[in-house]
Amino acid sequence: MTTNRLNIKHRLGIILVFLALAFPSDLLAQRMGHGASRGGGHSMSRGGGHSMSRPASRPTNNRATTRPATNTRPASRPSHTTTPSRTPSKSINGGHTKNNSRDFSNRNKSNIPNKSTRPVNTNTPSRDKSKVGDRTSNNSAPKLNTNNRKTSNIKDKSINRGDAARDKSNIGNGNRGNNINSGNRNINIDNSRNVTINNRNTYVRPSYAHYSRPPYRYGGYGYYCHRPYYYHPYRPFYWGPYYHPWGYFVTTLATTAIIVSIVNDSNDDDDEYHYENGTYYLKTEDGFVAVQAPVGAQVSDIPKEAEKVEVNNTTNYYYGGAFYEQNKDGYIVVPATAGTIVPNLPEGGEEVKIGEVTYVQFGETYYQPIQIDGKNMYEIVEVKKE
Amino acid sequence: MKSTFIAFSLFLIPLLGISQETKDMDSTAIFILDKMSDVIGDLESVTFDLNNSIDKFDDDNNIEKQYSTSTISFSGPNKLLIRTEGTEGKKGYWFDGEFVTYYSFDENNYVTLEAPETTIEMIDEMHANYDFQFPAADFFYPSFTDDMMDQFDSIKYLGKKVIDEEECYHIMAINKDLNVQLWISNETYLLPKHFVIIYKNKSNLQYESNFSNWSINPTIPDSVFSFFAPPTARLISILKK
Repeated sequence: MTTNRLNIKHRLGIILVFLALAFPSDLLAQRMGHGASRGGGHSMSRGGGHSMSRPASRPTNNRATTRPATNTRPASRPSHTTTPSRTPSKSINGGHTKNNSRDFSNRNKSNIPNKSTRPVNTNTPSRDKSKVGDRTSNNSAPKLNTNNRKTSNIKDKSINRGDAARDKSNIGNGNRGNNINSGNRNINIDNSRNVTINNRNTYVRPSYAHYSRPPYRYGGYGYYCHRPYYYHPYRPFYWGPYYHPWGYFVTTLATTAIIVSIVNDSNDDDDEYHYENGTYYLKTEDGFVAVQAPVGAQVSDIPKEAEKVEVNNTTNYYYGGAFYEQNKDGYIVVPATAGTIVPNLPEGGEEVKIGEVTYVQFGETYYQPIQIDGKNMYEIVEVKKE
Repeated sequence: MKSTFIAFSLFLIPLLGISQETKDMDSTAIFILDKMSDVIGDLESVTFDLNNSIDKFDDDNNIEKQYSTSTISFSGPNKLLIRTEGTEGKKGYWFDGEFVTYYSFDENNYVTLEAPETTIEMIDEMHANYDFQFPAADFFYPSFTDDMMDQFDSIKYLGKKVIDEEECYHIMAINKDLNVQLWISNETYLLPKHFVIIYKNKSNLQYESNFSNWSINPTIPDSVFSFFAPPTARLISILKK
């Protein structure tokens, strides 16, 4: 009985080793795989400019226990282990590491590469302490200019896409993508204006037209467009004298402003939209702030600057980033439809690098820069999960 | 006793599974790869040029060749500078140990991100999160030879060949999806000269690179690895994969 108890530790140890051997991590990076180099990145701090110095940073008994079956260090390379460890490395990659067996004396092929040596990596304390100390002190010490360095906004598709966007509860959550980095500025948006794009008003209706070009694929999604990508920088457009970009603030509205009714609004929030000359306002404590056109808003008239755009063989009107369909009561705000081509974009968008292309994003809507007859335009992208 | 036996059997399973893989590793080839990795691992800084030819499918699914030329500089464990110009436009990567910046000269916009502290970790992370492609980065992984041995079923030494009037060791590595051929210079230093990757599973698309103008341990001022945005360049957002 006592021997059994004593053995529990050993058995646990064996099971752990089994787990480590059974699931070696083979992750892909770059053109070829570099399973080992995931650890390899960490090996920078092993101390030596070369793996020869490893024994110094590796407790020998650990090595003995984690390499029970393989015992692979070939006798033909004794000089490696005897090389004195070098001073902390400036090597560009931390030095060459060798974990696999190089024992070619046995020509039995099945014996040659033995992956079981690999888990050693995971069990090995890979950081040389003195070096880590250096690094942490570097990290903790405030560095010159760090705070002033602007970093990009990192968008995460889990936030910006998917059905959740249509979930009403999502409304008002501010959909700007989480700014993961410590960068302190969101360049494309003037935050002082508190522009909040409502995802519900930016979701894209799918186009039922056939796409003859293959989509641009990135991160498990396909980005479909009818026309080729042609980059031109995003420059917000101003639609004439009455146009006010989102975030524009006024203390009072003209008497001509009307309260718009929103058709089919099952929304719980009781936001009251005021409409005047193509601009929608929400009431705030001190006045009114211009916002995106709410989908479903019914208005009797739209500014004459509105442009006609073709959407699935019907004509829509486009003004200030909103799409309108004409009906018996006037015009109603409709969601964007994939494949629609628009000549201009309003303020409030954000240029986002998606793999090798740069799109302009408004909440859920991505606009691909294109060119038609020498004129810069945008096409609404259809995003599909692949 | 019985449970010990079970535990021992469990322990043997992965070994059995792996030993069934038949791998054909040529000791000469591995030796050459090791020597090359030793040289690269001992570099404290390096600059070289790279000429790439990349096959891609166009919109009609035809193979289209694209060419690019890059100048790449590594310095210490946490500095990297790449400038690439070619069919796909002109772009650059700057990594100064803290931030990595991708700048498109054509679009005049850039992405700056906080980065891990070493070049290799940065390359790995940026590739995994944002699909950044760092040309010929494979050779600079410290475990290059081990990775090759793991990933390929066969690595062979095919003899000495001459490329660009340089004598090179020709090595071929094969698995079910890839055929990779390396030419490693046998001139003064054992450094890569040329490589070809053939994607057997994708209509034999090829990725080909030629190294030139190796400069060993040059002194490169740290400031060149920091990106300074041109006055009109715009910082843009980026979508994570």
